[in-house]
Amino acid sequence: MNPVRRKKSVLRAEHLSKRFTDGKRYTDALSDVSLSLGEGEFLGVVGESGSGKSTLLRAISGLVSIDAGEILCGTERMTGRGPREMGHKLQMIFQDAKSSFDPRFSMERSIRESGRGEWDPAQVRSLIDLAGLDPGLLSRKPTALSGGQCQRMAIVRALYSGAGILLCDEITSALDVSSQAQIVAILRKLKAQRGLSVLFVSHDIALVRVVCDRVLVMKEGHVVEEGLIADVVDDPQDPYTRELIASARRQSL
Amino acid sequence: MRRRLKTRILITGAAAGIILLAVIFAGVIAPNDPYTTNALAIRKAPCADYPFGTDNLGRCVLSRVLYGGRTTIAATFFLVFLSFLAGTFIGMICGTCGGWADRLLMRIADILLSFPQMVVAIAVAGILNGGMKGAMIALGITMWVSFARLARSHTMSIRQEAYISSAILAGKSRLNIICTHIFPNLLAPLFTNALTQVGTTMIGLSGLSFLGLGVIPPTAEWGSMISEARAYIQIAPWAVLAPAAVTILTIVVFNYLGDLVMEYRETQG
Repeated sequence: MNPVRRKKSVLRAEHLSKRFTDGKRYTDALSDVSLSLGEGEFLGVVGESGSGKSTLLRAISGLVSIDAGEILCGTERMTGRGPREMGHKLQMIFQDAKSSFDPRFSMERSIRESGRGEWDPAQVRSLIDLAGLDPGLLSRKPTALSGGQCQRMAIVRALYSGAGILLCDEITSALDVSSQAQIVAILRKLKAQRGLSVLFVSHDIALVRVVCDRVLVMKEGHVVEEGLIADVVDDPQDPYTRELIASARRQSL
Repeated sequence: MRRRLKTRILITGAAAGIILLAVIFAGVIAPNDPYTTNALAIRKAPCADYPFGTDNLGRCVLSRVLYGGRTTIAATFFLVFLSFLAGTFIGMICGTCGGWADRLLMRIADILLSFPQMVVAIAVAGILNGGMKGAMIALGITMWVSFARLARSHTMSIRQEAYISSAILAGKSRLNIICTHIFPNLLAPLFTNALTQVGTTMIGLSGLSFLGLGVIPPTAEWGSMISEARAYIQIAPWAVLAPAAVTILTIVVFNYLGDLVMEYRETQG
């Protein structure tokens, strides 16, 4: 029995479908995609560009409407609730951290805006410490921060909102190697200390192996393989997964 | 490069400031009453008493240029401001709501853009029997379009930004997002457009006055001054040259300032 799977599910997506139409042409971005994210679990979603990974996150968060399927947070049915309500349960961290902050706002104002209650400077301070950031950066605007600092601030903002689930959309792909390592370290800390559930989208299977418990492999809007990360990486069953892993190994060489 | 650009903006901005101060304080600076006629000083060449000479009725051209600037510049700024407000509001509605409202308003904008602006303005001003109010309405009918199209395209592009998605997930309402994120981020490009529109509007207003469709004499206004004085340009060229020169100078200064600010924003990335 899979020990991770036994964990209580905090997020379930069942048979999600999404079609984008442009005149007579259409693209099935998601076709019958199902997943379950356990409490304190890190679930990786891998696949090449255009496989539907980001659409999956945006559909779950309500930023993109779905054509069919169900979304549940715990036992609560969330389908069709919209992103404003979904925001209570989950938060999204985007690929381009700088563009996820209003260029006119200081970091503090952006973080303050994400909170739903009274402003709590002590909590922000502890999150800033967790992210290994200088508190002085709170008064700066996103243009004055590096990509890595911005991404760590985005994590702080997501955590400050109080959501129990994080949806991370390629959050390290725009960063240099040292910033990537810092983000990975924070995610590991979050896993160990806070029991946060994370849906981690990446095209970097090596990174997913380091961070995640389980992985979901997507191709052209379908889930082609799912399982414990070690099982999938060491013994991929689907030819596409094998190709993806082989390509990742070639790149690492 | 950016430093040089900043210096040029400061110098051009200072020139624009001087023009504005000169017309605002026309009552203090003007050496004579702009409306007092003097039968003994008809078409007098520039001299100590009348630095820009006098016109056909013996009125001080410099004083009329300064007071005329009040009319021209105040009407221009008011019209640009109103167009800015109307166009931005319409553009934000189109960019935020989309759907039939967007299609309808943008088709109206397309129809208005399909006619030359001045032709529409002359026709409308003619129907409204001239006057400054009529001239402003005539130009305002098409002026909001550039602001609306700019506001719409920027709104649509800002809506795609991740910080808007973050604000939505933070539970912010649509109105809150428009007021705190979209509108403030639109201001810079719209302000640049407003600066470049100042020159165009001034040409339009002065043009209508020149054609007798703007201010009603004896009110001093640059376009109507040129129109009145062109009849005796060979006898008293100063009466045409002075208002023509300040019109050109003001248009050049504001257009150049708009271009510089646009360039500065582009270098900011």
